[in-house]
Amino acid sequence: MEEQGEFVIPASPQDVWDALQKPDILKECIDGCEEMTVTEEGIFACVVAIKVGPVKARFTGTVKMVEPKPPHSYVLEVSARGGGAGFGSGRAEVNLQEVPEGTTLSYVVKGTIGGKLAQIGTRLFQSFSRKMTRTFFDRFSQRWVR
Amino acid sequence: MYTFNFRRASNLEEAQQLHQSSSDAVYVSGGMTLIPSLKLRLASPDDVVDLSRIDGLSAISSADGVLSVGAMARHCDVAATTDIPALAALANRIGDAQVRNRGTIGGSLANNDPAADYPAAVLGLGATIHTNRRTIAGDDFFVDLFETALDDGEIIMRVDFPTPKRAAYAKFANQASKYAVVGVMVAETDSGVRVGVTGAGACAFRLTSFEDALSTNMSASALAGIDVDSSDFNSDLHASAAYRGSLVTVMAKQAVEQLTA
Repeated sequence: MEEQGEFVIPASPQDVWDALQKPDILKECIDGCEEMTVTEEGIFACVVAIKVGPVKARFTGTVKMVEPKPPHSYVLEVSARGGGAGFGSGRAEVNLQEVPEGTTLSYVVKGTIGGKLAQIGTRLFQSFSRKMTRTFFDRFSQRWVR
Repeated sequence: MYTFNFRRASNLEEAQQLHQSSSDAVYVSGGMTLIPSLKLRLASPDDVVDLSRIDGLSAISSADGVLSVGAMARHCDVAATTDIPALAALANRIGDAQVRNRGTIGGSLANNDPAADYPAAVLGLGATIHTNRRTIAGDDFFVDLFETALDDGEIIMRVDFPTPKRAAYAKFANQASKYAVVGVMVAETDSGVRVGVTGAGACAFRLTSFEDALSTNMSASALAGIDVDSSDFNSDLHASAAYRGSLVTVMAKQAVEQLTA
């Protein structure tokens, strides 16, 4: 599956870049995120409880930042395991561009899911990932609005 | 299956109390979505609170131009009603005979699967949802993917459908599951023309551009050339977003043709 989009955030690329490196901010913005810690430079470990309809599972994952070009772009490599429910992995390219309103953040995500989740979940995966992404950027943008 | 506590509530208060006293509880009505999820271990609640023994929740009655359907009424019960033929026909095409014999309207609405049939009927017919705490207009009920206006622990008691002047439902069903790839309910009601669409987006929605066109001219030709924005539509191995966008128009035209026949 592939998904792309862009959001305008009312802050400078440097501020956006800095915020995206902070585990507590990421935790606050990811729906269902229970833990987010830095294990080493550029690597985050997280626990996310996902609830979508009848499915309720807790995923543990790692997020690795590669090819960082502050404050312009980076690539995230994500892998996650949800016990009996399944697993997922993905790669996200993130670009920050300065615009009069602040910063345009654009992303391209490519991901796959496997296990039982994939058996019944493909029908819903795209809608769900879109919802998660929007929630993230809504909350993230709100930081500068208030 | 894994171990969980099966709690059978005999009344609404007990059901709520059982739900509240558990840190991880879920209600079960017909179980047509929940039980397969439990079997696959996609969910593992501590407590499953059964609503099937609560008196009066499955009653269907009709008075003053309103068909009142209890939340525990099964799809086959609704299919056997005669007040709103379009609603009965919709219920009769949900899933297969086994699902229709167990699945309930309350369970379907509370689950809010993006491809479920009933949400199109609630929006298209302008239904009202009564819970144990309040009354929710159908238009305000469906929030997002699997997300409704229901609060945690809230229970749907019944759904009131005003009888329309005329109505019809058309769906393009997935051949295996019979879920709606796209389903459209078109109704001429006392409060105007309503069009409810399911299967296309993250949850069911009304299509006001179609409603406006059909208000002035109730014919399939009135829908020609109206652009349906499919940019946010679902896309999966069954159908792309653009294909679903096209199906919305085709299904709406079929519904209008049925309704005017």
